[in-house]
Amino acid sequence: MAGVIKVASPPEDNNLFQKGYGYISTISQGMWKTWSIFWEQITGKEKTNTLEWPEAPANYSDRFKGKHFLTRRPDGQVRCTACFLCATHCPADCIHIEAGQHPTNEIEKYPVRFEIDILRCVFCGFCEEACPVDAIRLGPEYAMTGNYGEKWVYTKDYLADRTQLQGGITSVKDEQEKHPTTDHHPNGEEKIKALARHMQH
Amino acid sequence: MSETVTFKLNGKDVSVPKGWTVMKAAAKEGVEIPHFCYHEGLSIAGVCRFCMVKVEGRPKLEIACNLQATEGMVVSTTEDEVKEAHKWALEFHLINHPLDCPICDQAGECSLQDYYMSVGKYESEMTRPKVLKPKALDVGDQLVLDTERCILCSRCVRFEEEITKTDALGIFNRGDRATIGTYPDKRLEHNYQTNLVDICPVGAFTSKDFRFKQRVWFLKDKKAICPGCSTGCEVDVYGKPEDSHYYRIKPRHSEVNGHWMCDKGRYYYDHMNPVGRLRKAISGIEGSRKFVDTDEAIADLARKISNSSVSDMALLVSPQYTNEEYAALLEFFVTQMGVKNVYQWREPTESTEDFDGILYRGDHNANTAGLAAALKAVGLENNIENQFDDLAKSGAKLVVALAPELSSTYPSLKEQINKLEELPFVSMWTIDGKVFEYPGINHAIPMKGFAEKKGSFIGHSGVRKLEQPFPAGNEHARDLVETVEALTKVMAHL
Repeated sequence: MAGVIKVASPPEDNNLFQKGYGYISTISQGMWKTWSIFWEQITGKEKTNTLEWPEAPANYSDRFKGKHFLTRRPDGQVRCTACFLCATHCPADCIHIEAGQHPTNEIEKYPVRFEIDILRCVFCGFCEEACPVDAIRLGPEYAMTGNYGEKWVYTKDYLADRTQLQGGITSVKDEQEKHPTTDHHPNGEEKIKALARHMQH
Repeated sequence: MSETVTFKLNGKDVSVPKGWTVMKAAAKEGVEIPHFCYHEGLSIAGVCRFCMVKVEGRPKLEIACNLQATEGMVVSTTEDEVKEAHKWALEFHLINHPLDCPICDQAGECSLQDYYMSVGKYESEMTRPKVLKPKALDVGDQLVLDTERCILCSRCVRFEEEITKTDALGIFNRGDRATIGTYPDKRLEHNYQTNLVDICPVGAFTSKDFRFKQRVWFLKDKKAICPGCSTGCEVDVYGKPEDSHYYRIKPRHSEVNGHWMCDKGRYYYDHMNPVGRLRKAISGIEGSRKFVDTDEAIADLARKISNSSVSDMALLVSPQYTNEEYAALLEFFVTQMGVKNVYQWREPTESTEDFDGILYRGDHNANTAGLAAALKAVGLENNIENQFDDLAKSGAKLVVALAPELSSTYPSLKEQINKLEELPFVSMWTIDGKVFEYPGINHAIPMKGFAEKKGSFIGHSGVRKLEQPFPAGNEHARDLVETVEALTKVMAHL
């Protein structure tokens, strides 16, 4: 029959435990579990899952998408061509680029300024996906600290050249005809692994 | 009464005047036939072989741009054979195209990109390396030429031959080594270079002024009238309203200017950009001058006006404002208040009768005729002789000056303004941020630019209307007013 809901009758209160004292046994079971695990952990019988970070290292995957970096050409110039595709696709509108004419004619367009407002960034990785030349990547560095406003806007120099990058990471995309290089850049992969290891120490 | 012909286009009867090509008829009907070399403002070359259509009863496909519509013709642009032809034509055009869209300013408004998406053959059959050609050549004051991107449509060569008649460009070499270029040691030097950027269907020509400044998909465009001379070309102004920043001006097709505009006009967006623009009012009624809100400055001016006698007041008006602004200004000061001294702000070095034969005129004011008509309407004579000396000698105690919007068209602007230093109170209504540098100016009101207001100019070919103002964007534009608005506020204070 439509519209009729059967409601179960309340349990009968003829049992001692259900008359109001039943919680005592349940609580003592729960406290027994809590105190026994606590005892095992302080005596070292069981390993805790909580890390004493940052004193103890945290192991994230090398593929973790954290702090951005800009890659370089084999000759050391920043690979970015200032095409604005990352800025166009950025859902947080956190990438600010100013393009300019490079002094050498081979490069033509390059970013005079490339800034990421990291407080706005949502780490979606769209910039990495949109980039046609593998110029921007999200690195494995997950810890970002800062205590005043400027720290949170990453400049081009910081993105391409911070000390942790150890002299910069080479892009895997290159203009083959103009600068013939191999597709594989072992130094890039090693450096990224080093970057991940750096976070762990 | 011209003769018309009726033919079938995609199964639909189309009537057009005799002599029209199928391409023109299709454009009128809203049927898009892909094309590169055809341009309405230029002669027909038929070199790109892209606009293929099927004509019933003819063994091969024909190019629509050079195919005259005849009575009873049956044309199709949708058959598989035609689509296949478009696909392969585009594939051939892309063989040596470098695909450097990321660094190309044309990206976003490029015919190659658009047609690749609409009629393209997505997988290229080409396996050989591309032919490399010279890039980023400096071929003129306004232009950068990239011969790799060029698809050899020859629009630019025809523009040089037919419109400017300067013949500066040509196609050199043959086959896949053919390149567009200038003759040795020659450069493009005329005043219409940036039109080559507009007509180039790809990014072979890019404008030095706009180069790398902004990607086109971030820009919004609004219709406006070029304020640079009395021709009054119809233009589109491109800007980012949220930043109150403008980036370029392009011509819009009209009877006045055809498809073109001059290079001088292309720069008349810069005075509206936040840098160098007067964004706050200046008031120095008592003591030293300081930046104040526009409303405060207008209240100061209204107080000054009500404390002055009419015979001590004078108006100084430049011919770069709209008819509506002149009407309101003269109605208020001349008809209502009875001010007799109205002077015109003219450039002494100008030669108003000059004309370069294409578009650019010597009268660098958009509304000379409009000001003359407005003065006549209130019974004042239209004297366009230089009147700064007269004004300086007149001893007027309160001068309201409508400064020219385009300071760059007034080479002796500084000299002229300095003549006003003797006068006790000059209120300058201007867009130019340099106004603070002139000690003679005690009061200034920040005005809107031509792309930010509605109104009309009387140009060389009649009334030209500004209809699509850019909205006031960010904090840079909050204090800007136009003359009518400012006058209404002045009146409210009296």
